[in-house]
Amino acid sequence: MPARTLLAVVLAATALAAGTPALAKPAAASGPLEITSSMMIESRSAAADGTTRVSLVKPTRVAPGDRIIFVLAYHNVGTQPLSNVVLANPLPRAIAYRGVSPGSPAPEVSVDGQTYGALASLRVRALDGSTRAASPDDVTHVRWRIASPLAAGSQGQFAFQAVLK
Amino acid sequence: MGIMLLSSGIACAQTPASAPVGTLAGTPIVNTARLNYDLGSDARALDSNTVTLRVAERLDVRLVREGEGPVSVDAGLTIVPFLLTNADNGSEAFAITATLAAQAAPGGIVPVLAFDSDGDGHYDPAHDTALVGGTTPVLAPGATVRLFAVIAPGSVVAADSLVVTARAVSGSGTAGTPFDGKGDGGSDAVVGQTGAVASITVPLRTGNSGPVLIKSQSVANANGASGPATRGSIITYRLEARFPGGAHAAVIADRIPDGTRFVPGSLRVDDAVLTDGSDADPGSFDGRGIAVALGDVAAASSHTVQFNVQIQ
Repeated sequence: MPARTLLAVVLAATALAAGTPALAKPAAASGPLEITSSMMIESRSAAADGTTRVSLVKPTRVAPGDRIIFVLAYHNVGTQPLSNVVLANPLPRAIAYRGVSPGSPAPEVSVDGQTYGALASLRVRALDGSTRAASPDDVTHVRWRIASPLAAGSQGQFAFQAVLK
Repeated sequence: MGIMLLSSGIACAQTPASAPVGTLAGTPIVNTARLNYDLGSDARALDSNTVTLRVAERLDVRLVREGEGPVSVDAGLTIVPFLLTNADNGSEAFAITATLAAQAAPGGIVPVLAFDSDGDGHYDPAHDTALVGGTTPVLAPGATVRLFAVIAPGSVVAADSLVVTARAVSGSGTAGTPFDGKGDGGSDAVVGQTGAVASITVPLRTGNSGPVLIKSQSVANANGASGPATRGSIITYRLEARFPGGAHAAVIADRIPDGTRFVPGSLRVDDAVLTDGSDADPGSFDGRGIAVALGDVAAASSHTVQFNVQIQ
């Protein structure tokens, strides 16, 4: 029934134009802010001008010691500004944090999932009660807080580097 | 490789991982980010999509010889122990070859490979099983096994060496070479920094290092001219002992042949006359044979004993 199909398409287009996220994408049913997580590796290729071009690609395989770039992309697909936006990434067990990716705002990090801050400000408590400065290997969580308000239509991405243990 | 075996099913002693090998092959790396925000006064939370990567099996192997310097090859079996380590993050079997460099041509003599099954560090044919098909059982990540190359007596020619080579069964070659689907748990395998190949070369010192006794004889007839051995002829025996590697408490002994009689006073060592009695000098004749005690002998030396018998 071609006529009905056409109608459905028109309705969907209208919904998108009106910025009704519930119809635009099922994942957005829980709200107007979309977040997409990906794990990438760097691919280096020689450019025509003799320089090396680094691009991020989905890995076909990863092995211990390989560098992995975690990318978090967000998009306010709603019509209203949002506030107190926090994107957090608990690190998988086999992943060791290395640092912020070039071009991304620096994240706050945590060694316990409770207290966040710059790595240099964090300390790790040993079993005997003594403490030492935290190292990248101690990081268990990474997060970014976006300055409020996050206007409707705003989008961006954050990235950090890690290695597979 | 794509097979998992329980270590209890493996007929060789594996030591636990000697070095960290990283996240095990086949492990899923699962990542989900968390999002919190306020929409007006409404606090909301949601999870991102979940991304999963499966850790590839990296292929690396190490061979380390136990002991150093040349190995002496003598009259018995020559045993060369070495350690093989599955040096990366997957369960892997290794194909091993052992060759004698000077006899590498097809049909040459090939040393036998055996596991130190009881883990005692000594080759014992009763317990230490031969390597079936030249391939190890599947070794756990980081596991080390001791193997023996067993060289049969008489195999080794002068200036030879033993070459042992191990290769990962899943694949080997240039670091980074992939083998799709060959890794643990259906993951891909990829060659590591070692190329998934390891080799050791062990110089072998040939049998010349042991003492050698060379016996010769000459016959003189009764009137002193050389000629056929007849009754009354004198046979002079010459026993030259060579000690390339030296010796401790060396004795040269020889029984006189039946039908001959020892000629008294004929015993000599290095042209020095020895008395026949068991006395202060090192030589003696006891009625059946001669014996000369040389004591401790320096390396690269030789001594010659000489005596006469008369045919009866």
